[in-house]
Amino acid sequence: MKSLFKSLSSVKLAIVLLIIITAASGLGTLIPQLRSHDEYFARYGQWANLFQRLQLTKLYQSWWFIALLLLFALNIIVCTLDRLSPKLKRSFRPRVSVEEKEIAVLKIKEKLKKHMNLDSARELVKRELSTKHYRVRETQEENKSFLYARKRVLGWFGADIVHLGILIIIAGGIISGIGGFRWNLTFSEGRILEIPRADFKLKLDKFETEYYPNGSVKDWKSTLTVLEDEKPVLTKIVEVNHPLSYKGYVFYQSSYGWDWTSPSVEIWAKKRQNPSFLKKMELKIRERVPLEGEDIEVSMLEFIPDFVIGDQGQITTRSLEPNNPAAFIEGWQGEEKIFSGWIFAKFPDFDRIHSEKETDLTFELKDFKASQVSVIQLSKDPGVNFIWAGCIFLMLGLLFAFYWPTREIRMVMEGIGNKTEIIAGGIASKSKDAFQSEFAKITESIRRSK
Amino acid sequence: MNESTLFLITFILYILATVFYFAFLFSKKENPAKTGFKFAFAGLLVHTLALIWRTVESGHAPFTNMYESLSFLAWASILAYIVIEWKFKIRKAGPYFMLIVIALMALASSPLMPKEATPLVPALQSYWLWLHVSVTLLGEAFFAFAFITSILYLVADAKEKRGEKTGLSAEKLDSVSYRCIAIGFPLFTLGGIVFGMVWAYNAWGSWWSWDPKETWSLITWFVFALYLHTRIVMGWKGRRSAYIAIIGFLAALFTYFGVNYLLTGLHSYA
Ligand code: HEM
Repeated sequence: MKSLFKSLSSVKLAIVLLIIITAASGLGTLIPQLRSHDEYFARYGQWANLFQRLQLTKLYQSWWFIALLLLFALNIIVCTLDRLSPKLKRSFRPRVSVEEKEIAVLKIKEKLKKHMNLDSARELVKRELSTKHYRVRETQEENKSFLYARKRVLGWFGADIVHLGILIIIAGGIISGIGGFRWNLTFSEGRILEIPRADFKLKLDKFETEYYPNGSVKDWKSTLTVLEDEKPVLTKIVEVNHPLSYKGYVFYQSSYGWDWTSPSVEIWAKKRQNPSFLKKMELKIRERVPLEGEDIEVSMLEFIPDFVIGDQGQITTRSLEPNNPAAFIEGWQGEEKIFSGWIFAKFPDFDRIHSEKETDLTFELKDFKASQVSVIQLSKDPGVNFIWAGCIFLMLGLLFAFYWPTREIRMVMEGIGNKTEIIAGGIASKSKDAFQSEFAKITESIRRSK
Repeated sequence: MNESTLFLITFILYILATVFYFAFLFSKKENPAKTGFKFAFAGLLVHTLALIWRTVESGHAPFTNMYESLSFLAWASILAYIVIEWKFKIRKAGPYFMLIVIALMALASSPLMPKEATPLVPALQSYWLWLHVSVTLLGEAFFAFAFITSILYLVADAKEKRGEKTGLSAEKLDSVSYRCIAIGFPLFTLGGIVFGMVWAYNAWGSWWSWDPKETWSLITWFVFALYLHTRIVMGWKGRRSAYIAIIGFLAALFTYFGVNYLLTGLHSYA
């Protein structure tokens, strides 16, 4: 038990853990994370199985990585607590009287002689120390007086505050990991969606995409309204970097897309033999539209935004972007189908129309419209406030540790008749040069003052 | 006058500063060093103007592609250098540090780096971008100086062991390395870790997602935490400390360059 405590409080363990966690984190950036087995197999062959069994493919969520982090946290707790109580004692109940030889071993020290009695010398020294913002404690023994002066005591606790901050961040991470979740909501304008695990609904009033002059996306703006019992309570325009927060849920503009299930398509019908023939028609899915002046009705069965023929010859879409839009159309004369096939917006001269009956008609897919949908990511992250609190501790602790170094000055003053001999020495936890010059100034002005 | 002319003038001033610094190093006279410092300072002023120019012209922070961020890192390095010179008086390390600045400027002006300002993708339109990148790069500039002093330390230490004289004592170099890291570490923590998390939370709804750039920032941070603990708690100094500081800077360098070109993730917009 004792030796377990000892190893948990040791900085050596901290260093070993830091090295292992660092190396593991690095490994996780070399192996792509959270992909499919097939992708790993294609990349690593037989090794894929081993990698997956060791959870190297979901390294940061693996039990062993989390165990390392928890051990690290435990190490910080034990180590910090172990060192805390002597430090607290030293700051609240410091030893004031010291042997002269304890001062003699200090690097920064000075001997002074004043031609005044002990009481006046004490007053003088205390005045000098307090003008430099030192807090002075003293005890007396016959003709001797011991002074202990100190400032910026928080500097001693800088490292502890840093460690506390890290622990709060780790705790926040655990809370987020257990209680948090994310979800994508895909809205078209006017839709109302229920929020999972919440008692309110969300409505997309309006969705706009703004573009730069060169055509790339500048911003997505979704006007969202929160509905409680069907009544609107809050409306906000959500953009990237400007989420909406409500009741512990945060809604982010994540992405956008099109609703390809009900597009509207413009098709031009032409005749090979008659170049002046041109009829434009608007098609919606499964709606038969008569071709003006001809005894033909045309309908669109399917629309695909990014047409591709898959490995097994099946027709699918490669993405939800309109990179290669294609429509499957049919032509009917009464109840008789006279042609059917794919036409492509990007390849007007290429179609795959099979005609059952001789016609002179050709079709071009000229334009297509689909309503845009906004993808809103919902996240509930109950640990996030811990994170920010931890970050504040972390930064404050760093400032204290590096830039608020504790300074201590000890003095032994001995009155011999009308003279006083002073032995002074000082310690600073950091910035020793700056302390040395302050110490020199203090002793110098003690020497000079009357 | 335009931004690229200002950039060129800056580059020339930095080169002149470097030349004078090396003249100081080899001649052991004080004057060239003073001239070198003046050129570096003048370069910083013109560089500042160039960055402002770029910001006004493009309408966004001057570090959203590789050219801009290299130029900004060079600027931050000179700023760090001036602070270090003023606080720690370590002029003889200046010439070597200037080589890093020159390398950054040369890389920024290389034809491989597209110079035109492109419009920002939505995720980058945030004030946190300013805070995150500028504070992180400033912290890294201090790590860069510690890298130089650590290498100089290894050289000086080897010389001292052979009983040769050194321009800068190994002890001074060791102490300046530590003090640069004591400045760089809080800055890097604030910019790279804290502001990074705030921005990620605002933009993507998650303060940490183990994307490669985040992970490598964390690795860099861990290496410097290792440096501090081995030094403060276990009393390591000198060679071993110098090696850790060098590894830490290389990790920062990899976070900065390597991740963009070798690994993929959310951050690889540059
Ligand atoms: C990533 C994690 C950690 C960070 C960022 C961190 C940060 C720090 C910092 C900034 C200091 C002050 C250094 C100085 O004064 O120059 C410090 C000191 C210290 N750390 Fe850590 N630390 C971490 C983990 C740990 C762990 C796991 C242990 C446990 C064994 C530990 C033990 C100590 C000790 C004993 C000190 C000296 C305390 C003192 O002087 O009062 N640290 N740490």
